[in-house]
Amino acid sequence: MRDPMTPRSKTIIICGGGLAGSLATLSLSLSLGSGYHILQVVGADTRQDDRLYGGATGPGAYNFLLRLGLDEPTLMLQSATSFSFGTHFRQWLAGRSWMQCHHAPLPTPSGIPLRHYLTRESVGLEPLLISAQAALAGKFAHPPADPKSVLASAEYGYQFDAEEWVALLDRKIRETDVRRIDANIRSITFESDTRSIVHLETDERLEADLVVDASGLSRHVVEAAGGTFRAARSIGFSLSSAPTDALGPPCRTIDADETGWTATTHLQNARHTLRIGEAGTASDEAPAHTAALGHLEEAWVGNCVAIGHAASVIEPLTPAPMMMLQRDIERLLELIPAHADPAIERREFNRRFQDDVEHAAIFHDALMTADGGPETEYWQAARRQTQSGKLDRKLAQFSNRGLLTSFDLEPFNEEDWTIAHWGMGRRPDQYDRQVDGVSGTQSQSNLGQIRNSVQQLVTKMPPHHLYVGKLKQYLEKQNYA
Amino acid sequence: MTAVALSHKFKDLNLDISLVESDQIGTVGVGEATLPHIRFFNQALGIDEATFMKSTEATFKLGIEFCDWGRKGDHYIHPFGDYGVPIDELDFHQFWLKLRKAGGTHRLSDYSYPILAAEQGRFRIPEGDVNEIGSNFGYAYQFDAGLYAKFLRAFSEANGVRRVEGRAVEVDMDGESGHISSIKLEDGHVIEADLFVDCSGFRGLLIEQELKTGYDDWSHWLPCNRAVAVPCESRGELRPFTRATARTAGWQWRIPLQHRTGNGHVYWNEFISDDEATHQLMSTLDGPALAEPKQLFFKTGRRKKFWNRNVVSIGLSAGFLEPLESTSIHLIQEGITTLIELFPRTGINPLDIDEYNARMGLNFERVRDFLLLHYVATQRDDSEMWRYFQAMELPDSLQEKLSAWNARGYVLQYEFGVFLPPSWVAVMHGQNLIPEGHDPRVDRYSLAEVEARLEQIRIDTAREVETTPTQVEFLRRHGAASGSPLVSAGKM
Repeated sequence: MRDPMTPRSKTIIICGGGLAGSLATLSLSLSLGSGYHILQVVGADTRQDDRLYGGATGPGAYNFLLRLGLDEPTLMLQSATSFSFGTHFRQWLAGRSWMQCHHAPLPTPSGIPLRHYLTRESVGLEPLLISAQAALAGKFAHPPADPKSVLASAEYGYQFDAEEWVALLDRKIRETDVRRIDANIRSITFESDTRSIVHLETDERLEADLVVDASGLSRHVVEAAGGTFRAARSIGFSLSSAPTDALGPPCRTIDADETGWTATTHLQNARHTLRIGEAGTASDEAPAHTAALGHLEEAWVGNCVAIGHAASVIEPLTPAPMMMLQRDIERLLELIPAHADPAIERREFNRRFQDDVEHAAIFHDALMTADGGPETEYWQAARRQTQSGKLDRKLAQFSNRGLLTSFDLEPFNEEDWTIAHWGMGRRPDQYDRQVDGVSGTQSQSNLGQIRNSVQQLVTKMPPHHLYVGKLKQYLEKQNYA
Repeated sequence: MTAVALSHKFKDLNLDISLVESDQIGTVGVGEATLPHIRFFNQALGIDEATFMKSTEATFKLGIEFCDWGRKGDHYIHPFGDYGVPIDELDFHQFWLKLRKAGGTHRLSDYSYPILAAEQGRFRIPEGDVNEIGSNFGYAYQFDAGLYAKFLRAFSEANGVRRVEGRAVEVDMDGESGHISSIKLEDGHVIEADLFVDCSGFRGLLIEQELKTGYDDWSHWLPCNRAVAVPCESRGELRPFTRATARTAGWQWRIPLQHRTGNGHVYWNEFISDDEATHQLMSTLDGPALAEPKQLFFKTGRRKKFWNRNVVSIGLSAGFLEPLESTSIHLIQEGITTLIELFPRTGINPLDIDEYNARMGLNFERVRDFLLLHYVATQRDDSEMWRYFQAMELPDSLQEKLSAWNARGYVLQYEFGVFLPPSWVAVMHGQNLIPEGHDPRVDRYSLAEVEARLEQIRIDTAREVETTPTQVEFLRRHGAASGSPLVSAGKM
């Protein structure tokens, strides 16, 4: 077996030292072999921007972080990370309250989706969802592998402090061959689709085959490459933190008011409060910043790939910002150019990026689409943003007969949509007629059994803070620290 | 299929289902080979596999062998399953590409359990972890479509479907809604209904002849427009795969059943006469013909609306895509499944119609692209037809797929559509499109490591296949042997 000639080493420069930059740097470093030089230019402080990731992830974060060597014991012991069964919306648009929980596929009694039984029986979904009930009761336990357990239906993500995660990632990066440069970028010259020169304020000059813009809201790198950001509207945001003695529930809480909404993230040692409202408004606790919501027309321009907030900015109402960041990085890893000309990779990256952005946005917009919201500037603008043929089709089909219309590779799954529709008070006009083959007594009994099993289990589950405390004790005994 | 599925699914509801058919009108037997999804259809009906196989002279199918498609003399199998197993979540074929570039000589097929088993005439039902070698494959059936129709008819009648023998000669429309209100049969019998499912074949008795729905003609992409079909005696080993052999103006199918072999020649009459096409078919049969060759005429494409007013077209009345990848029955199945999900509850709702048409349209388009791939991913230019495809401007979606594959072995990802990335890998690689590069992430593994890992997978795959019985053995053991000589005579 002959070893093919080793091609010239390639250089990838990641511009940005925040969450996006560090996740991308570590991912690239661990995924690519010695034929790549990975440089991270930490540059300007993007901690402020990282707050717009919302401090919450979906269930996909577990495997994503694990692949980077950030396992759950590390997160629990070396940061204030806590568990999250989802987001508890309170007083949302005319008083709606529900737990937008993470859940495995819902049961399909007699092969018919659960939602059709709920429609016929006019009963609620939330009491049947273990992750919702546990979160509302402030309880947590890891879902077991045994599918017979009621808890196996629960899925979870994390509540986290972006700064802490960046610190953990940076520690990992230092164990790799990545060269980290703490300097600001003075300018970037894009000489061709395959070559760029990054000029640092230290007068250093770096050549790159590929540049990753992880510079956050400034997105100055991709804009220098010719990227165009389409802003839909602007919001104001601020984050404050208060220390706590006891860990709160395993979910983020979101409370709406006349001028915006507030997300509270419950970490092991603190409570973070993220305020989102009209651009330019200030909160009492922290200075406000402004962000334009929207996305790049193309996230890969020339040889520059924008990720995270440099590529798209979505209000952190759901874990969508973190999901998008993860997808940006995974998409990039799958499409690292195999040749000098990255045209094919660029087209495919942009096709998938545009789909992902649209699909993440319609889920967000589905939570904004309702009658009865306040008639203030923020809410009016939020509702105006909702213009999508795909969302119209989803809403119409659900309203008509409880149908969940899906598109290719959406980030939010059928359970997310079912729970969101129910939470927003949407009910189908009709249910699947196959339900009529099951007697009302039978289906009420089945639903009652699920409800009882969930309730019984929740009473036995430990409070979130006790579970995390015991888990840490156990891990420490195992010398995980 | 539609009558039995609806009657079974809605058996507890107050639904009156009538199946109107005439013994004088034969079925078009182009869809004898199936995709693995057919198993779910049968399972949902509670059909016992062995009983079904015996009743329909069915054989197992692990994939399709394509002969002479990339170049004359080539052959490859498109399996129902993956190649190898992913390594650290990276596609197996990317490692194979790296090894091949470094001088590796094993075929990609050598890492595929279903391909090796098919080549050796072996079969068993996959069991265990679907991520393990020897279990990461699917299977389908090859059966006598006429016998399957009879089998299902009996099943549906047992489920309360009323079968009405006769031909529709008159259709009555509701002047206000434009819906079809009734059909009148030759004997004067009138059948009224709220919903009509048009399974009348190419002519589209209701969807086209009455409702004038219109047809999207895709002949410029898939120009074959005729077929001639004939069964012949089975000869030789009973291999668990369908064969599709490329010809100068089309292609020829061979479907081995327990009691006979189904054959057909799909062709473009622009470049070959009917007589010559028939001659080519008859001169390449395995054994003596069992019937006179039957001529079929078709136009590739799809109905502009699969569901129009109160008529849903399913099967050939909905559209036609040549059975190169055994999608005919699958598209019927998709139509039925979608109809069940959108079955009217209180009258016909335009939202249901829109959703049905959108979903089926996507299904048809994605199958179309995959079929077209076979004609354009080729080095053949030895006849007018092949030169036509060489010069063709492809749909953008397909052109992108080919470009991405050729550059780096990447398969564009979609969630919906019947053919998943391993199918695209099978055909593109099978027809000699060897990517120029590979996923750079594979380069973090040394060549020695890649070689060692792949060799272990190859050995494990071969070992799994060695312990697999022949299809004939398995048919007998499974209680699925029909008693036909090829199976009962003990040719193994």
